[in-house]
Amino acid sequence: MRVARSLTALGILLILTQALPPSEARAIPPDPQAVLARADSVINAPLDQIQDMELILIEKNGSERIREIRMWQKGDDTRTVKFLEPADVRNIGFLSLPDDVMYLYMPAFKKVRRIAAHVKNQSFAGTDFTYDDMGTIKYADDYDAKLAEETPDCFVLLLSPRPGTEKDYAQLKMWITKGTFYPIKTEYYDRGGSLCKIMERREVSQIQGYWTAAEVEMHDLKTQHRTRMRLSNVEFDSGLSDDMFTARFLQRRQ
Amino acid sequence: MGTKAALLCFLVGLAAPSVSAQGQIGGHVLTDWRARLDDGKVLWNENRLELEIDASPTSKAHLFAQFWIRGFGVSEAATTQDLMGLDKRKSNPWDLLPREAYVDLYGFFTPDLDLRIGRQRIAWGTADKINPTDNLNPDDLEDIWDFGRHLGTSSVLAQYYRGDVTISAVFTPGFTPATLPPADWAAALSTPLALPGGVEAGKLSDELDMPVNTLRETASVAVKIARPVLNYDLSLSYLTGRSDFPVPIRVVLTPVDSNSVDVHSTLVYPRMSVLGADLSGAIRTVGVWAEIAVFFPEAVYTTLDMSALELGQQEIVSLPDEHFARYVVGGDYTFAGGLYINAQFIHGFAHELGRDCLHNYVVAGLEKKLRNDTIQITVAGAVEIPDSAHPGDNYAIIGMPEIAYYPSDNSEITCGVRVIGEKGQTSFGQLAEMDEGYIVFRYAF
Repeated sequence: MRVARSLTALGILLILTQALPPSEARAIPPDPQAVLARADSVINAPLDQIQDMELILIEKNGSERIREIRMWQKGDDTRTVKFLEPADVRNIGFLSLPDDVMYLYMPAFKKVRRIAAHVKNQSFAGTDFTYDDMGTIKYADDYDAKLAEETPDCFVLLLSPRPGTEKDYAQLKMWITKGTFYPIKTEYYDRGGSLCKIMERREVSQIQGYWTAAEVEMHDLKTQHRTRMRLSNVEFDSGLSDDMFTARFLQRRQ
Repeated sequence: MGTKAALLCFLVGLAAPSVSAQGQIGGHVLTDWRARLDDGKVLWNENRLELEIDASPTSKAHLFAQFWIRGFGVSEAATTQDLMGLDKRKSNPWDLLPREAYVDLYGFFTPDLDLRIGRQRIAWGTADKINPTDNLNPDDLEDIWDFGRHLGTSSVLAQYYRGDVTISAVFTPGFTPATLPPADWAAALSTPLALPGGVEAGKLSDELDMPVNTLRETASVAVKIARPVLNYDLSLSYLTGRSDFPVPIRVVLTPVDSNSVDVHSTLVYPRMSVLGADLSGAIRTVGVWAEIAVFFPEAVYTTLDMSALELGQQEIVSLPDEHFARYVVGGDYTFAGGLYINAQFIHGFAHELGRDCLHNYVVAGLEKKLRNDTIQITVAGAVEIPDSAHPGDNYAIIGMPEIAYYPSDNSEITCGVRVIGEKGQTSFGQLAEMDEGYIVFRYAF
């Protein structure tokens, strides 16, 4: 019901945005928090999604390693990820549920293990993405937004972690396109105020009616390491069962 | 052995056409070398091919099998005949071990029920590697440093899912004893023999009095119910079966000369029931877990036969029929820089039977990954304290620093040392002269 209501609201917002001439739309001073929530809604708009991802880990010297994963997501707060390749991580599974409940399945130990929120800011399987990044994304719940600037194409927001949230970064700077409310670039600043990571979403287009980036790249400026994530076999709103987001499914080999 | 190898080839060949479409063959190649630090004695020489066959012929069925084909140990050739024979095991020891082979049937009878039938590993418990409630499969202590390794057993596992509740039931018809470490390490798991004053042990021998091969004697049954409660995952379990570690029921002393006796022991596997509980969750962002198993053993009375020494017979209680509890409490945390810490307090190790035999252990480890996870440094250690009232009198301290390098996908090179310091009488202290260095190469495919 909550999902249905938020989709209705999103639909109304989209209709209103499209109905307003661009000049009138710009005339309304943007509420940064609302813009952020809107971006969340766009990212998480599909009722559910399945996609295969190729994670290309690029070393400073240009050498590459590749991981392949399959991801299932339902709504904006449940996600299952399974590794397909390479062999040393094959069948490892990760389940992210609401309220920071996360499980990891390690085939070698034949066990699904509950993992605590301390891993959220750690590297996910050697990539430049964290467990937090690989979980579901709802920036508006975790960050307070301020408008840093407004370019002809983007709202640029400064995001500060809300009190009580455990984040490794002191601040995020996010570029959200005005036309689609799709976040295309995020800069991550450490506690010393230094820029440490940049995430870019590229090749953004509508797939089955939903804005989707076919490529996402995370660049760690400290290590000069990059992870490029390429999407394929994307499928939206296929009516995924809740059973796909359980420990039972996590350890099931497909 | 030739027949076994042929069978394995047949299985792989049989599976190959179908796995290409619906599953896969994988596994790893591993080489594990260990040598004693003080004199360079080769303690371990293992070269293993782990082969996994994985197939899902339909969405409702899944097949899995895991085999180890390995060369192990050093040449045992004693005569030239050993080198000439067709069977090369003495000059080149190797074996084939079926670790698991089972079928999963998903949504069996009802969509909420999954069955797993066949030789399988059923891992219960939420603690890290040392799990008091993990008693469905016998311990595989061949490698004493591979904590938590168990053998597969031929079992039926039924798992029923209803909402966030999972009910598991296991039936294992046969009894399988734990495997024990090779002689160099076996001392850690054995109790020192108490002989009459001035008498020394000569030749030691034993025999296992295995349970009679009937379901009543060999079968084990277990159930578990698990569900989340207040942001913690909880489970309760019950098992009735047998201890996988033997207890002496008869010890016969036979004089060899005026100072020494040969000792022959008969060992049995006592029945016991185990009531278990575990939880896992978090306190703020720190991962926490706790696990307890209360054992209810049948009593084992040991007859000490010293008739040949003209000292008659004595009966002592080796395992009283009083319950005892093993438990683990632990937690883990990752600091902002990526330093991971894991610590556990353990009361009672797998081989410790009886309330008076349980030692305390504190195990902790620090892990740090470097260079985009291509290097991992681990500094782990453990302290064994048999008697909490006098920790300074008896203790063992184990240090296990290790470095792992991942030069490319699927490959891993690990090296490290295990060193032990001790005082008094402890389990791991008996390995104090076995300080070792090791290097392991592993490639997954």
